[in-house]
Amino acid sequence: MEIDFSKLLLNYPYFIAMIIFCLGCLCTLTQHNLLKKVIGLNIMQSGIFLFYIAVGNIKGGIAPIYDPTLPEGTLYINPLPSTLILTGIVVGFSVTAFALALIVKLYNYYGTIYAPKIIRMR
Amino acid sequence: MYLWENMPFFLVIGSLIAAFVMAGFARWKKEWCPYLTIISVGFSFILSSILAYRVAGGEIINYYAGGWNPPWGIEMMIDELGAMMLLLMTGSFLLIAIYSIKSIPREIPPSVSGWYYSCFLLTLSAMMGMVATNDFFNLFVMVEVTGIGACGLVAAKGEKLSTEAALRYLILSSIGATFLLFAIGFIYQITGNLNMSYVAAELVQIKDQYPVIIWVTISFITIGLGLKAALFPLHIWLPDAHSSAPSASSAILSGLVVKVYIVSIMRLYFLVFGLDVFTGTYMRYLILIMASLAILMGSFFAFVQVNLKRRLAYSTVAQIGYIFLGFGLGTVWGITAAMLHIIIHAFMKVCLFLSAGAIYYQTGKKKVTQFTGLGYQMPVTMGAFTIASLSMIGIPLFGGFISKYGLALGSLEANNPYFIALIVLSGLLNAAYYLPMIWQAFFVSQPKSQPKAKLKLDAIPFSMLVPIMITAAGVIYMGVFPGGALAFLEKAVSRFLLL
Repeated sequence: MEIDFSKLLLNYPYFIAMIIFCLGCLCTLTQHNLLKKVIGLNIMQSGIFLFYIAVGNIKGGIAPIYDPTLPEGTLYINPLPSTLILTGIVVGFSVTAFALALIVKLYNYYGTIYAPKIIRMR
Repeated sequence: MYLWENMPFFLVIGSLIAAFVMAGFARWKKEWCPYLTIISVGFSFILSSILAYRVAGGEIINYYAGGWNPPWGIEMMIDELGAMMLLLMTGSFLLIAIYSIKSIPREIPPSVSGWYYSCFLLTLSAMMGMVATNDFFNLFVMVEVTGIGACGLVAAKGEKLSTEAALRYLILSSIGATFLLFAIGFIYQITGNLNMSYVAAELVQIKDQYPVIIWVTISFITIGLGLKAALFPLHIWLPDAHSSAPSASSAILSGLVVKVYIVSIMRLYFLVFGLDVFTGTYMRYLILIMASLAILMGSFFAFVQVNLKRRLAYSTVAQIGYIFLGFGLGTVWGITAAMLHIIIHAFMKVCLFLSAGAIYYQTGKKKVTQFTGLGYQMPVTMGAFTIASLSMIGIPLFGGFISKYGLALGSLEANNPYFIALIVLSGLLNAAYYLPMIWQAFFVSQPKSQPKAKLKLDAIPFSMLVPIMITAAGVIYMGVFPGGALAFLEKAVSRFLLL
């Protein structure tokens, strides 16, 4: 399969979003510190948020607030992905809060948040 | 009239509101929480019975939230599979809520017993939303809420092990949900819609245009929902989470929570992408391989476990494999068997986990090596346990036989008779780890030093005994009279395969 590199350069936000997503996934799966795992999760989600914002963006578009004084044919960006991401942020926030609460509890039990140590102490 | 028209909405939102109300009662009147939960779940059960009755009459219920028609608004659609799942979920939750009245105070600290019911209703509400929704983003939100609620159910026990298992479950299931969100982004980008029916109509036209994106999307969906449904190599969180949770939670998690993800994954594969894309991207073959591995390895791992609940949890991994195998075959009987197995396995696993909880309640025994003489101390519980175990093995007249028979027919339809050997082998493996427990409970005599055990009724409360008996009766009913469920699912299968 041929890859058109000029297209890749033109759509660089998608590329960056994918890199951030992969980095976050790697961080979550490979870090031993539980807090870093949660941070990785947040990085992963940020990658997706960037992706969604890039999906909704239109080159030269303005904020999607209707203004009758603007000339006919003005471009507005697509507001739907941004609103979806608002929900996504709230969901990510609640997951993070829950995970941190569990980590605090684990710290009370074991005195550490380093995963291999916890497994050894079990 | 108002209630009649907005029934799907009230079904989901009723439990959600009750969950938040319960959080208030958890501080004020903790002892009311179980009874209020039963009232709320009972209300949902009545509503979903009415919905199932309407769907059985040949009507597919489309509900537009707020009166906004698709593709702008959120659509809820209840088809035959959805109605079946709603009935199954609310019924099982009702039984488990009745069981929880006496069981939960023994297993979790009293300070959080009110919060437990909050998580209970939150999970039920999100699961019903996931089954009923026809909107991609709604699906994502419901998936996340179910994940959080299920983690709450695990963490409620407050022990070291369960906290650790809950954290692992939370992190892995959020990774899964994140993959799902990415897949939804891709779908939105290529089709411009979030409503599943519209996306399906759009995908038929453009699937040749974006082969790579569709391939990436379907693999992300498989990773995301497969991680949550504990498909074999992605099952690592399941044994810890399901075995360290309180018994009532284990029954919910093992019997129902993993199933709703499978229902979603089936809908996405067959109704949104269609069988052509499912086969064309080789995802069907991957599912078949993973399901076969799940059946074998799950049974092997279950065989070596000593802790009863851990053994049951690994057995769940194997049974999930059956369901994936069924719809991976992609034939009429295969999909029918997968749907039937969702129902039958829910009955069996709820029965087994509730029995395990009852055994722990009366005797404090957790290991399968301590079963000696148990059949005399608690004959009703062990009788139900035996029924569910025999069904797991696949003995005729029990529910498990019907779904295994369906799977065998499905693999013949797909010209793949090797899977019959797999099903028989797995049945033998199941027998190898279920039968010794039953044998030991009923037929092994106790050592001479102890007084001879006399047959007497179980010393557990009546409210714990009734759910166990009802689920065991359900297993037998499904084994003897499967015709009703089969006729109900026939239409769903024909819609799945576009027949």
